[in-house]
Amino acid sequence: MSASFFSGVRNEGSGRKAKEIAVEPLKIGIVGAGAIAQRNAREAVASGVARLAGVFDVNHKVARNMAKALSAPFFPTIDAMLASPDVDTVLISVPHHLHRSLGVQAAGCGKHVMMEKPVANNLEEADAIINACKANGVGLTVNYSFRFLPKIQRAKRLVEQGALGDITGIQILQHQYKDPGYWTGARSNSPDDWRASREKCGGGFLIMTTCHIIDYVHFITGLRTERIYSEYGTLSSPAEVEDIISIACKLENGAVGSLCASSIMRGVDQNEERISGTNGTMVLDESGITLFSTRPVDGLKPGKVHRIKKFPDVSWTAEWVREFATSIHESREPAVSGLDAWDNLAFITSAYRSMEEGRAVQVPIHPARSGERER
Amino acid sequence: MRLPRPVQDKFISLLGAIYTRIPRQYRPAIKWAVFGTLLRLQSLVTLRRIRKGRRVEFLDFEIANLEPFETLDPASNQILVESICSTVSPGTERAVLSGLPGARRSFPYQPGYSCAGRVRKIGKKVSGVSPGDRLVGRMKHTSLSVLPPGGLFRVPEAVSCEEASFMELGIIVLQGIRKAGIRPGDRVAVLGQGLIGQLSNKFAKLAGAGRVIAVAQSRRREATAIGRGGADEYVALAEDPTAVDRIRADVVIEAVGTPQAVVQSLQCAIPGGKVILLGSSRGIGRGVDFKGLAQDRGIDIIGAHISAMPDRESSPGRWTYREEGELFLRLLEEKRITVSDLVTWHADPSKCNQVFEVLAAGGANHVGIVFQWSPE
Repeated sequence: MSASFFSGVRNEGSGRKAKEIAVEPLKIGIVGAGAIAQRNAREAVASGVARLAGVFDVNHKVARNMAKALSAPFFPTIDAMLASPDVDTVLISVPHHLHRSLGVQAAGCGKHVMMEKPVANNLEEADAIINACKANGVGLTVNYSFRFLPKIQRAKRLVEQGALGDITGIQILQHQYKDPGYWTGARSNSPDDWRASREKCGGGFLIMTTCHIIDYVHFITGLRTERIYSEYGTLSSPAEVEDIISIACKLENGAVGSLCASSIMRGVDQNEERISGTNGTMVLDESGITLFSTRPVDGLKPGKVHRIKKFPDVSWTAEWVREFATSIHESREPAVSGLDAWDNLAFITSAYRSMEEGRAVQVPIHPARSGERER
Repeated sequence: MRLPRPVQDKFISLLGAIYTRIPRQYRPAIKWAVFGTLLRLQSLVTLRRIRKGRRVEFLDFEIANLEPFETLDPASNQILVESICSTVSPGTERAVLSGLPGARRSFPYQPGYSCAGRVRKIGKKVSGVSPGDRLVGRMKHTSLSVLPPGGLFRVPEAVSCEEASFMELGIIVLQGIRKAGIRPGDRVAVLGQGLIGQLSNKFAKLAGAGRVIAVAQSRRREATAIGRGGADEYVALAEDPTAVDRIRADVVIEAVGTPQAVVQSLQCAIPGGKVILLGSSRGIGRGVDFKGLAQDRGIDIIGAHISAMPDRESSPGRWTYREEGELFLRLLEEKRITVSDLVTWHADPSKCNQVFEVLAAGGANHVGIVFQWSPE
């Protein structure tokens, strides 16, 4: 099939300024047909810069149903999908322990890789995927698409404009309730209890859910975490991975942070990120952004608490797909790069290591980042 | 039609009473509406037009912003002045902004007290001032002021509004220099090289000092201190804290305003010398050995704060506020002193938040900061 060009409208996150771009559509093969994969596939189509070129899952029944529903070809094996010239990108949404083998294989076949988060279960696996993509000259992105939420984009802009001054502290609270069916796969269309397994999932609530917040808080502040101390436990879930965790950390500029997360808080969810600095404080929660700044930033009066509640209704996953397509078109790194995902995994695995070793640990820096810092 | 005065007063006090009964947390939201209504009523009953302006306000500690405001046209005994330049008084304004000891104020607070501008309108009973005249005096950092003309000074033809806007600071320094009684050839040390300190360098020189030694913690303000008509020598105490013992000045002008600087000033003075406390002292000094530092060495300590100046003639030989102001402007006119070389930041008023953030953090290497409200 000859490549046609979609005239995609790229939403710049907040939807303030839409930019017309001509992007060659991604021909996406969907790998994994679970609930998240189905959502990702629909949003990829909605992005306007992708078409579904096939569906594969080891559970042929759910894969066939999904392929039929989305009018896409069904592939019985991953090899068949990767051999197809009509697939140039794979969107992998499978249990974490399969990320490495599928990611490396897809890159080896010259396919761009869009990976569901986290990039892998440990840094060695992440290195393997990143290196394979680099060696084969294909793009790699990981689904930390919350970055594309207009609220997060606005928060980042405010921080870049100096609303908070120098960052001094970060607090993250994320408490939910995951019922037993979440762990056993009882509510899944392809039942599997991989989420409860340390070997398959890599960890519990932190790597599965809170990783998004860890990503966007670092994205907003532009800082990396240097040192971590953590405590965690499995207190009331049918799992071998943590269902509650508390982290104290120090950021590269000396700011001090904390993170408390659990999947065992019944009745009332809690999702709040608080970022404070020498010139202000920002609170991100479900209602939007609450901002206090001593500076007049973005037309907001200083010395006053502002509640920013209205944001454009944007599909963050579609934005993620659109941005990746653009990065491929422009032959540049995507907004959420493999290295960003590696950094996120370094934070998470350091938190686990801290608890296991009973001490504070340094968060590793990717060699490529060391070079950036020296420059 | 004009309402009888008692009716006006009753209505205004009724509105005031209603406002004060509203819970505090809701007052800011309706403050503008309430005061706007009052102003409009006043405008109606006094037949005076409402003017819109902008002024710098400290909204809270370390938060400055350019805020809109409304005021009435001048009453019969008032004039309307449109600002051209206002000079920041770094010590006082920083003290209020940062809540330093002795500078407690409630917020919002309108800073500024040294501003030059042009008369736009005069009241019916005002004489001796005409629209178009340039005046300088105690006006805030604001685009326009409505006030009686009595306390203001006429800016001489040859003097720019930027230079004239230094007048209040000039008066502060002149009264201190006068109290210092500098004699020809005296060795004068000026401790602190902010704007007051650097103006002191120049006036000490003008008063006949043989050598003026600028003393500061760092060298960040050296370039302007050693400029035209300024200090002959610059000492940075961070490089050598013991330098104070070698300065041996006949007269020491303390222009910092901290207890530590008062002690250092005493150390800088020669036995029998004088220390002039010019800086607005912020802080309480305890445990100072006054006997060893001052009494045993026969040092005269002279308080020289502007608040101790007479407004008008009181006794022979005492210079008044008006006389010092007129002298300052005359010295500028005759080019015997320059101040434009001390301006390190010509700021647009819209950048006032940034200006005062820098000031709250110590002022960096800035000396004179002037807000330009309109072209000269």
